Amino acid sequence: MDHTTRVYENVFEMMPSEANPTPIVRINRLNPNPEFSLYAKLEWVNPFGSVKDRAAWSLLRDLEERGELGDGRGLVEPTSGNTGISLAALARARGHRMLAIVPNKIPHEKKVLLKIAGAELEVVSDELCPAPGLGDGSINLAKTYAKAQSHKYVMPNQYENEKNVEAHIKTTGPEIWKQTEGRVTHLFTSMGTCGTVTGIGRFLRSKNPNIKIIAVQPTEGHDVPGLRNVSQLEVAKLFEPSLIDDILEIDFNLAYTRALELCQNEGLFAGPSSGLILEGALQIAARDQRGFGVMIFPDNIFKYTSNMTKHIPALEPQETKATI
Amino acid sequence: MTTNHYVHPEVLVETDWVKQNLGKPGIRLVEVDVDTKAYDAGHIPGAVGLNWQSQLQDQVRRDIVSKHEFERLMSEAGISPGDTVILYGDNNNWFAAYGFWLFKLYGHKDVRLMNGGRVKWLNEADKELTPEKPKTTPTKYQVSEPDLSLRALLPEVLKAQSDKRHNLVDVRSPDEFTGKVIAPPGMTETAQRGGHIPGAKSIPWSTAINQDGTFKSADDLRKIYLSNAGVDPGKDTISYCRIGERSSHTWVVLKYLLGLPNVKNYDGSWTEYGSIVGAPIEK
Repeated sequence: MDHTTRVYENVFEMMPSEANPTPIVRINRLNPNPEFSLYAKLEWVNPFGSVKDRAAWSLLRDLEERGELGDGRGLVEPTSGNTGISLAALARARGHRMLAIVPNKIPHEKKVLLKIAGAELEVVSDELCPAPGLGDGSINLAKTYAKAQSHKYVMPNQYENEKNVEAHIKTTGPEIWKQTEGRVTHLFTSMGTCGTVTGIGRFLRSKNPNIKIIAVQPTEGHDVPGLRNVSQLEVAKLFEPSLIDDILEIDFNLAYTRALELCQNEGLFAGPSSGLILEGALQIAARDQRGFGVMIFPDNIFKYTSNMTKHIPALEPQETKATI
Repeated sequence: MTTNHYVHPEVLVETDWVKQNLGKPGIRLVEVDVDTKAYDAGHIPGAVGLNWQSQLQDQVRRDIVSKHEFERLMSEAGISPGDTVILYGDNNNWFAAYGFWLFKLYGHKDVRLMNGGRVKWLNEADKELTPEKPKTTPTKYQVSEPDLSLRALLPEVLKAQSDKRHNLVDVRSPDEFTGKVIAPPGMTETAQRGGHIPGAKSIPWSTAINQDGTFKSADDLRKIYLSNAGVDPGKDTISYCRIGERSSHTWVVLKYLLGLPNVKNYDGSWTEYGSIVGAPIEK
């Protein structure tokens, strides 16, 4: 493997690390604050297209090292899509089976991608019974498989597994520190499992206790895939509130409009969660005036064309109608 | 059995009680889910699975499962009228509570709910699950005395609305109560109009449960339903929701945990009431 020539013997060698970081790219036209630089870390450059490659690889290797996989035993995991795609692709490339339990509200594109990646798919309705503290239907169904059919399934459980956090302590955090030469003052990220914010937060704070960790959340009732509102964080056991300086709640519609602006003004084909993070970063940049911010852009726009047209109807192509 | 100062604690059993009584003669476990995916993936050893839509409702006209069909289901599940039936299910026992109401309606003497439902069992380390379906010996179950007084039908609901002498308890979400939405997102069963029955009190079903899915204590429930929401224990009560399953959950609370004298479940609920020409609606 040679990261300078980018010649690899297998896909696993391409996984991100301090020596092989995902790029950070400066925001130019959309950032009106000259004293506050904003850089986007493009996580879609990972082999399977999202930040979740990091957690998936860490979870999978841990299971392999502990001898939990093989002899007909595969994986089962609840996922809103990205973890499942990464995990299924990695698992299949290593010769393991993967059952993904997904909520019905995730975009059609992601469900198809999961199947393309080689996952078996079970779709459940998580919205049926909103109740306090009960966790998601997809999480419970995955736990049921892992408990009732433990000879066939092991559940990495990205929501509770410390290996999810460790992935970011070992890779994303050190990458950012090296890429910014220690100048980073603000980290902007979203929260789903909270592995990203907790892992990067822990690493950066160990380097510089003054770094501000800002988490961005969509307003309640949102449909931004992969993200959780504060009221939905009950299931995220990796959530470490003491690490976070500010949690910004942002109108979820801005996720879509800001994503479109990134595509059309910066040439960054960022997905809706990146749009939400950009909005949060711009708010903090206006507040704090000076700084060096790094935003984690979790994935790109290609999986979200149906969500985008739903929120921005003008994107719907006009079909030519035959006239008589 | 559960204490917690309920008026009828005998209708609830705890997960530990179920574990201790697994496989004992005369004790039958029944899982009722919205679909049987969860049951097929894994259930409490020995439990039979029932689908509330395809098995506990009439498949031609809109109605609960017929007496004859209920007898057939019970017989196939190997259940006898003298058995102690323990119901549990997903979505925090919504559908198990609907099943409980049906068992009571068809006169099954000893039926109980497992407090906390399948999610509580699932999250307890010492509780097992299995995908193996139990081998059952068919019985000849016969319904002896259906108790139709547990069910409110439309004429009674319309009369209760105009007489103003009933507690009408709307257990749907606040947005359904106010008519902002007619049904939760993605639900196919809906109505022509949104809103609620005039005079109904809004007490969403989930106010009755703790974080772990178990029912709140009798003191807390009394406070929620009687002191705060103003349900009058001296009046007859009708609970309703959208299609009658969430209201079964509240029906259990009002009738058995709080012991209100005459509580009926209106299974026609909003999908019926909200489509009736001329029926009074408040928003």
